[in-house]
Amino acid sequence: MANRISGSTVAVILFSAGVGAAIALIMTPSAVEPARRSARTADGKPNFSGVWQANNEAYWDLQAHAARPGAVTQPGVYPSYEFARVPAAPVLALGAAAGVPGSLGVVEGDGQIPYKPEAAAMKQENADNWIDRDPELKCYLPGVPRAMYMPYPFQIVQSTNKIQMAFTFANAARTIHLDAVEGPPDDTYMGHSLGRWEGDTLVVDVTGFNGKNWFDRAGNFHSASLHLVERFTLINPDAIRYEATIEDPAVFTRTWRIAMPLYRRLEPTIQLLEYPCIEFAEEFLYGHVRKPQLVKRWEGETMTVEITRKVPPGDRFYDWYRK
Amino acid sequence: MRNRLLSVIGVAVPLCGIIAVAGLLRVSHLPAEGQNPPGTAQRTAWGEPDLQGIWTDPYETPLQRPAQFGDREFFTEEERAELDRLRAGLLRRDARAEHGTERDVSGAYNAVFQSVQPTGKRTSLIVDPPDGRLPALTPEAEKRNQAEREYRLALLQATETCKNQEPECAGGKYGPPSPRRVEMPPLYNTVAKNRNDHPEDRSRSERCMAAVLPDFGGYRRIVQAPKSVAILYDTGQGQGWQRVIPVDAGPHLPSSIRLRFGDSRGRWEGDTLVVDVTNFSPSFSYLDSRENRHLVERWTRADSSTIQYSVTVEDAATWTKPWTARQELIRQDERANRIYYEPRCHEGNYGLPAMLLGARTEERAFAAGEGPDPATKDTTIGFGNEGGADQLTGNSGAIF
Repeated sequence: MANRISGSTVAVILFSAGVGAAIALIMTPSAVEPARRSARTADGKPNFSGVWQANNEAYWDLQAHAARPGAVTQPGVYPSYEFARVPAAPVLALGAAAGVPGSLGVVEGDGQIPYKPEAAAMKQENADNWIDRDPELKCYLPGVPRAMYMPYPFQIVQSTNKIQMAFTFANAARTIHLDAVEGPPDDTYMGHSLGRWEGDTLVVDVTGFNGKNWFDRAGNFHSASLHLVERFTLINPDAIRYEATIEDPAVFTRTWRIAMPLYRRLEPTIQLLEYPCIEFAEEFLYGHVRKPQLVKRWEGETMTVEITRKVPPGDRFYDWYRK
Repeated sequence: MRNRLLSVIGVAVPLCGIIAVAGLLRVSHLPAEGQNPPGTAQRTAWGEPDLQGIWTDPYETPLQRPAQFGDREFFTEEERAELDRLRAGLLRRDARAEHGTERDVSGAYNAVFQSVQPTGKRTSLIVDPPDGRLPALTPEAEKRNQAEREYRLALLQATETCKNQEPECAGGKYGPPSPRRVEMPPLYNTVAKNRNDHPEDRSRSERCMAAVLPDFGGYRRIVQAPKSVAILYDTGQGQGWQRVIPVDAGPHLPSSIRLRFGDSRGRWEGDTLVVDVTNFSPSFSYLDSRENRHLVERWTRADSSTIQYSVTVEDAATWTKPWTARQELIRQDERANRIYYEPRCHEGNYGLPAMLLGARTEERAFAAGEGPDPATKDTTIGFGNEGGADQLTGNSGAIF
């Protein structure tokens, strides 16, 4: 009981400190630059310029889900209980940092993704083979809408005829053409985006996909016939309501929709920092053709990842446990 | 679910509202549309010089000036025509080395793979020093290069290239495989070397990370907003990249943060966007420079179809003095350039693992007594250079 009280006292202090910091941020005149705070552009449109980030768990799974003990799990001692699964080898060494947070989901309506039966089977297969199949792990261009809610900031540079979106992940980018430029003759990872204003909402029609992207790490996917209609609406100068209507007759039985807020990164010095994942993914992709192999070892079709951990001398937890 | 989301937003709204009101008070000094001073360069709706559009330098101009042109910055029209004529006559098409040699097998790329742009006005991109040449290297850089050269020659030692005393082996000798083959290079490797043990042994280009700053080639799309300039570079072999230059932002990042494309800070000096770039990574090289590189770029809209671009490159660890390059970027038609190939080199990079896998296969064959020692093979031979060097650029036609 005493412990619990001191726990909540700490929480109150932390909360007060947080509010104090927030007020300090607001009261400091130079803390947020004027351009970032302007609600409208020079041509009278809502101003989306700035650095933004989704703050949800959609990148794990668009759908509502409970937390899981690992990004990859295997059956535990109760093989028939899903909730009793344990972290599997690829993430085990990371302990509690390797789990998946729970989520209320971002799929509108009944929260279901209306897969055709064969597509539903493919989604399940994707999930079961996540490590081998997810293009994110290979650092492929993330596509849209996935790029919009990955756990990295992205920047919008809004001009009159073009809106440029620069993403941290994979140094990806997309250009939204407000001047109705004809699309390229070839399909793309990031799609061809045509924007228009409906009142104060930016509506973006995206087509021209190559069908190689996923929506999330749960194996949700689409085909090259994906047609997205995105809607960006300012809730206030520092939050956007982002909606995407998803139409793909090759994969889904009807259109469906995701929606979430995107939040402005209010740190006065915020800027995108590169996440050079092509380089980061090289060991994952090409480690097996090294001489000699470093982290993983392939023998025929089987990959072995050895995890060797030694408890450092003087570790208090293990010392106590040894008694 | 929606209710819970909305309650989160509900807390955020009052805080954000205060920020928004403060913001409205502070932007009132920005000029409204139509209030631009008359006769100035093209301006954006918010009054900044307008650099937007798709831009490229459509001419072939060598970085360094061929010595015979001395301190002369521009060609005469006659000289350009003559150079174009000479360069068009370069037979880089289907020339073949002696059949069955390594050199022949490597020459798989002919002129179809090598575009030749028309000769530009400039005799070189470098305008300062006045001779259009890179300044002398510092003794420190000479030492780095020497160590690098010795290592590279050691890797070539047992190959035909050295046996036949090809130019690539100049300064080296022919002999048994060097024990240095198991050493790592003196500096983090960025160019192809005659070893294929790791992805890191291959060039940045083969790893789909060729682009560096400064970038003089390819196309760039510029999109502006107040206080930020976004540039999307569509550069060689699907290895494009993008940057957003913050304008009037604070000081550079702490020096502990090192970035492939550096840390850019822009400011407007009159109608010129001046960008200071520092914090480069030691694992990417531009010419002989690495992390100590400091750039000052200048972007000026010279007229409706031209951006004057210049960059001053300073690296006291590499060059004895700073140098400046200049080029004219010409505005490109939006519709004609809608064929934008997004940078997806990496997504289709079968070449890199195939090269490494090939090396592992050769090693196994050698171990089984069924093939030559891989150390006796040269995998760095240039492609399709049998027709001779480009008389303007001196390029041998090697694309890696």
